[in-house]
Amino acid sequence: MSVKAFELVPVVERELLMGEKARINIECLECCGKYLYVGTNDCFIHHFLLEEQTNAKGRVVYLSQKLQQKHLGLKKGVVELKAASALERLIVLCDATIYVHDMLSLEALPSGSAKIKGVLSFCVNENPVSADPFCVELGVISSRRRAVQIYTVHEDRVQLVKELGTPQQPCALSLDGYFLCLALASQYMILNYSTGASQDLFPFDSEERKPIVKRIGREEFLLAAPGGLGMFANAEGISQRAPVNWSENVIGAAVCFPYVVALDEGFVTVHSMLDQQLKQTLSFRDGHILQDFEGKLVLSSTKAVYMLVPLPLERQIQDLLAGNRVEEALTLTEGARRNIPKDRFQILHKRILQQAGFIQFGQLQFLEAKEHFRKGQLDVRELISLYPLLLPASSSFTRCHPPLHPFADLNQLTQGDQEKAQSCKRFLISYLHEVRSCEGTNGFREEVDTALLKLYAEADHESLLDLLASDNACLLADSAPWLEKHHKYFALGLLYHYNGQDASAVQMWVRVVDGVLQDSTRSDLFEYVVDFLSFCPSLDLVWKHADWALQRDQVVGVQIFTKRPVGGDQGSRLNPEDVVTYLQKHSHALLLYLEHLVLDQQVQKERFHTHLGVLYVERVLALLSQTSCPEEEKEALSQARSRLQRLLKESSLYRVQLLMGKVEGSESLLLERAVLHGRLGEHERALHLLVHQLRDRRAAEDYCSWAATACVPQEPPNATQQQQGTRLYHLLLATYLDPDVPGGVDSTAAVDLLNRHGHAFDAADVLGILPEGWSLQLLRPFLSTAVRKSAHAQRTAQVALGLARSENLQLLHDRVSSQPRGGVIVMNKNKVNFHPWHVCERETDRDGERE
Amino acid sequence: MPEPAKMRKPDVKVVILGDMNVGKTSLLHRYTERKFKDTISTVGGAFFLKQWGPYNISIWDTAGREQFHGLGSMYCRGASAVILTYDVTNWQTLAELEDRFLSLTDTANSDCIYAIVGNKADLTDSGTHRAEPLDGQTEQEGVGTELQPTGGGVGGGDPAALLQKQVSQEDARALYNRVLRYKGMEDKACPPAERLCFETSAKTGYNVDELFETIFDMVLPSILKKRSQGTPSTIDLEECRVPKSTKAGCC
Repeated sequence: MSVKAFELVPVVERELLMGEKARINIECLECCGKYLYVGTNDCFIHHFLLEEQTNAKGRVVYLSQKLQQKHLGLKKGVVELKAASALERLIVLCDATIYVHDMLSLEALPSGSAKIKGVLSFCVNENPVSADPFCVELGVISSRRRAVQIYTVHEDRVQLVKELGTPQQPCALSLDGYFLCLALASQYMILNYSTGASQDLFPFDSEERKPIVKRIGREEFLLAAPGGLGMFANAEGISQRAPVNWSENVIGAAVCFPYVVALDEGFVTVHSMLDQQLKQTLSFRDGHILQDFEGKLVLSSTKAVYMLVPLPLERQIQDLLAGNRVEEALTLTEGARRNIPKDRFQILHKRILQQAGFIQFGQLQFLEAKEHFRKGQLDVRELISLYPLLLPASSSFTRCHPPLHPFADLNQLTQGDQEKAQSCKRFLISYLHEVRSCEGTNGFREEVDTALLKLYAEADHESLLDLLASDNACLLADSAPWLEKHHKYFALGLLYHYNGQDASAVQMWVRVVDGVLQDSTRSDLFEYVVDFLSFCPSLDLVWKHADWALQRDQVVGVQIFTKRPVGGDQGSRLNPEDVVTYLQKHSHALLLYLEHLVLDQQVQKERFHTHLGVLYVERVLALLSQTSCPEEEKEALSQARSRLQRLLKESSLYRVQLLMGKVEGSESLLLERAVLHGRLGEHERALHLLVHQLRDRRAAEDYCSWAATACVPQEPPNATQQQQGTRLYHLLLATYLDPDVPGGVDSTAAVDLLNRHGHAFDAADVLGILPEGWSLQLLRPFLSTAVRKSAHAQRTAQVALGLARSENLQLLHDRVSSQPRGGVIVMNKNKVNFHPWHVCERETDRDGERE
Repeated sequence: MPEPAKMRKPDVKVVILGDMNVGKTSLLHRYTERKFKDTISTVGGAFFLKQWGPYNISIWDTAGREQFHGLGSMYCRGASAVILTYDVTNWQTLAELEDRFLSLTDTANSDCIYAIVGNKADLTDSGTHRAEPLDGQTEQEGVGTELQPTGGGVGGGDPAALLQKQVSQEDARALYNRVLRYKGMEDKACPPAERLCFETSAKTGYNVDELFETIFDMVLPSILKKRSQGTPSTIDLEECRVPKSTKAGCC
């Protein structure tokens, strides 16, 4: 408890009503606009004009002025008063009779018909079904019969509309639409005066306790229930709200949304209809009447009249928030949704949500705080500004006024507790992260991203790099010093890069790689920089740092050039000639670059091929010249040679003479020389080298198969590959059979060659040059291959011939049969001998026309 | 009079009835707040709105005290399900359901679902009902079947001591069938007693979720029917319509 929802304000003091007369008591009240009517037990009606004012302290006070008083001329007290302002009539119950008086003069109407006799109690229908605005509908409890009556009161008369019997004597009633809510002797009931249908509500002993029947809204009533409950019931007899817990002796009840106010002998209690909780208790002795009139709560003792003035909603809410009672404050705010204009409500609601969020934030209840910030659409800068130094210096943000929270900053909030501060920072990270990913961040992307960057950097958070690598709005001027402070040089480089300052970025990274600055974010930073340069569109930057990279590591450094995308616009394309010239001083890098050009990119330029060939040769020669010969060098030599051989064999662009000049000096590079000879078309010399100097038959055969495909045949100029192959094998055979060399004829080699590569030879030619004395047995594999080959060729030819014939015949058949039956066959009259071909020709012509 | 924003329009009403001190409020607490705490005797009634999928289910927790007995039929009016709660350690609470509370349900919907729930199961067998067992109902024949009417033992005593179970599952099922007979629903396609007789423990949480979820599942057709008809048994205060003269005041 302890919401202050109402304030008790005196309205009419005792002196104004009865002075010192002790026996006079207030019996009933009516408040209508600025008029207050008071009925007393000495049959007087007092008429006051109320003036509501706000005093210097901001409190509401009432100035009351007595307009007049009127004695009704009876000896009974005035029991009930109701004003009908549209008719300017005052309905008075006195001495079991209802009289209608003029509202201003208080004179009784002259017409005798304007009265109802035998009335115990009455009520006005505040939600009448009748459409006539100039009449008032009354529900009346008859004192003579067990019945209720419905009357309409017009300006000058009253009219009975309906009378309904009740099972027991009614003692209190309320009326809404067609529904009468009645307190009977032992129960409450709802009665529909239109249909006569009734609905029992619940038992209540009206003789033991005073029943209360109070209409609180459309077809909903508040009833005093056993056990001191305030029960809600609607016209269908259903309770839609949980009851409020009053004391046993409630005298009166009234509703001022969202509160139910009840009066008992010593107190006024205030319950909320929203959560049924007791919110306020006001001590009030000798309480007599509590009623609400058009939203005004009027309270009286037997001697004086007071007003219960509701405190402004916002103040009530702020009081609750000041007591950290977030839930109640929000319930109260949301309960007021329909009582204040929509736009004002939204502003209020948002603000309360934000304040609630900050209260929960202060209590480190981050989940709830986040939800309230989100619902309240908090300007995220309000939250960021709590954290020192997070907002960019350039931000024009100032906190909203009045402030949403009492905290100066995080230090004050956590009072130096590092753990708390850390959890607050973690919360902000997650909050900003969410804000960033979902909505448009209220348009404060710079503030959000910069704050996030700072938090990440400080916390050594892995997402720092993700933030910088993705689309972001981090302010460079503000973030750079912060990143430097936290030694996040790699990240700073990324930020420079994102802001188009690649030069600064690379410079920053170079200093880290060189160990001038310490940042262990990436262990492979050097490779990263090289990669970065290889994609860098600025050639100046590439040339500027190429030396640095190559000096550091040629193999990696050369990737600046080799990994560069082949495409790309003209400005960012490197000229290979320039690169080769530049790389002269970095020989290994040059070699790698040339390999990249020649082997990977297959650039068809003689210069590069020759250059690469020369480099290979030099390398091989250098290795050969080394006298010591450990295993790994052998290995290196064989690798170097195989590379050279591969180039020589695969490329046809290099300058053969130049390379030949380099190779000729070395006796061990026979294979390479043979290839170079081959390139020159000097196959005899090449084979001679291989067979007689290298003595490698296998190499010689490989040479033949390579040269058949790779070397441009010199003569005859248009020989096919097969003919070229045949020529080469014949040359090889001739070399083996050459008697004019040291060692003479190598018949074994010749036989092997024939038997193994029989298909490559022209068998007839071979038989001509073979020595006489060779046995058939010796050449059997060769001969059988040759015979098979020849037989195969013959048969293949026969099959082809047969197929061609059959195709021709088929075609002929189609032509003849596709001719229209009975059609005219045009014959060439000049030809006496009919021949199918002529028909075909004619038909073909006609076909051509048709198509 | 505007409805508080917090009070969404309920689609269907579930009412918990039973003698005082059987644990009605604790059952609701256990289900809604997932914990067991000391409650004071409910005054009048309390009410909780459960968001269940797309539906709003209002659950009324009534006061068991004799004093508030008269309010019961008002709470039950238009109810789609009634949870009749007794205390398994107290035979009298089961008897009271039939004697005193059953008549309150006369105002409930004609297709109302009735569940018979024996609470405080943890007091009779701490082993079986310790915090959230996985299996469903546990048969406990032979513990209390012969111990019929002993009358008036006060439940909820010292929780450390095991109390004798006074009400068996059989008794509860028998009552369920008598409820159906009383309602004249025995020949209709009502769910069998096995599905609507529960033994629960609000203290350990045993079977509590099963109870509420089963009932919500069963009232679903009633919600759909109401939605399709578009004539809610409760009046929509937000809806402004001219009162019809044919509108009856009673059900």
